[in-house]
Amino acid sequence: MNINKTQNGDKTVFTLSGRLDTTTAPKLQETLIPEFDTAKQIELNFSELAYVSSAGLRVLLMGEKAAKAKGASLTLVNVSDEIMEVFEMTGFAEILNVE
Amino acid sequence: MITVKNMRKSFGEHDVIKGITTTIEKGEIITIIGPSGTGKSTFLRALNMLDPPTDGVVEFEGKNLTDKKTDINEIRKKMGMVFQSFNLFAHMSVLDNLCVGQTKLLGIPRAEAEETARELLATVGLSEKADAYPDQLSGGQKQRVAIARCLSMKPDIMLFDEPTSALDPTMVGEVTAVIKRLAQSGMTMAIVTHEMEFARNVSTRILYMDEGGIYEEGPPDVIFVNPKREKTRAFIHRIKSYRYTITSEGFDFIEMMNNLILFCETNALSKAGAYKAQLIVEELANLMPKSEPADLTFSFPENQSLFTVTAEYGGEARDILANDEMEAIMVKSGTESVTHEYESGRNRLTVTWKPNQKI
Repeated sequence: MNINKTQNGDKTVFTLSGRLDTTTAPKLQETLIPEFDTAKQIELNFSELAYVSSAGLRVLLMGEKAAKAKGASLTLVNVSDEIMEVFEMTGFAEILNVE
Repeated sequence: MITVKNMRKSFGEHDVIKGITTTIEKGEIITIIGPSGTGKSTFLRALNMLDPPTDGVVEFEGKNLTDKKTDINEIRKKMGMVFQSFNLFAHMSVLDNLCVGQTKLLGIPRAEAEETARELLATVGLSEKADAYPDQLSGGQKQRVAIARCLSMKPDIMLFDEPTSALDPTMVGEVTAVIKRLAQSGMTMAIVTHEMEFARNVSTRILYMDEGGIYEEGPPDVIFVNPKREKTRAFIHRIKSYRYTITSEGFDFIEMMNNLILFCETNALSKAGAYKAQLIVEELANLMPKSEPADLTFSFPENQSLFTVTAEYGGEARDILANDEMEAIMVKSGTESVTHEYESGRNRLTVTWKPNQKI
């Protein structure tokens, strides 16, 4: 998985490509969680992300909790139908802010 | 009628049969099926010492055939064999082919032998070919003559070594029909075949051979409808499967997933189908205990009507999905069935889903 970080005004955007799974989830965790120390708006762009497993969901949940704790926001955009189904099936569609 | 004890057969350093113990009772119709190269024909040829076993015992009607003192030619009169390549005497007419064994080996007068031969030719539908020579016959006709010749020796059992494999597909039916009629007459038979429908219809018992032995055996309804073991199922249902063995905690996750993705692409799985397979394999791989080798198998029949992931792992009896962890939720959601069994120290967890089910 590749993570590409860009700044769009106040918004920090991470564009993920590839697979968010057992082997790559730790990389997102290391990149995303410390970001909440400074950023107030974080967007995860899933347009090039093909796959998310439970390991990826855990990191997204950690991100959501970190955002709440720091008074910041975490938004997911361009989520594929398959990944959206995973969110719905696990109840994450209710927890995460998906646009 | 036939008892086989711990039969082994090697060709050089290659162990083809690694230990078969079984019996064939009078009146049984045994078909021997399995992938090519698993020793089916070798097993059959070892029963009548055409290819004697390297080790083990074969007894026929109480006589030990592996004992050098046994007169094997006498025994072979009672054990007829039909070969893939017919093995007719090309220089003799059909009638002579059927008489020669009777007169020379059984000492039956020619007139009586001819009478029997003509009766048998009628049985296999070839009365009018009595004076023809083998070269004038089609493959199917040659094989029917070979069956009649075998019967002319009044055997107690008939061994068929892939009797339809050398035939044009249009001629398979005429030969299997003759064998089916023989089966109805009560002849004891052992048949090596690749014709699955025929095996299903004719047999009283099926031996599925794999891994150098009898991998699974049972009546046709069990073997063809509900086989118990993985390789039998794959063979019977022409199931496509991807198997990965995890040997330690530090297993190569990327290799496992990349090969699975490739397998899904090769077999033209839908995007959602491939996604779900990957998800279930990944979650189960993370949940499975790895202190002993653990296997993950993703499989589906050719028509992709049902997908199955099987996780086999050692240790105590434990259903790794009996919790509310995210991995377990992921696996259990949107599935047709989830079953857990424990037998002989191995857990077996089977997850199935249908193509129209959501991820």
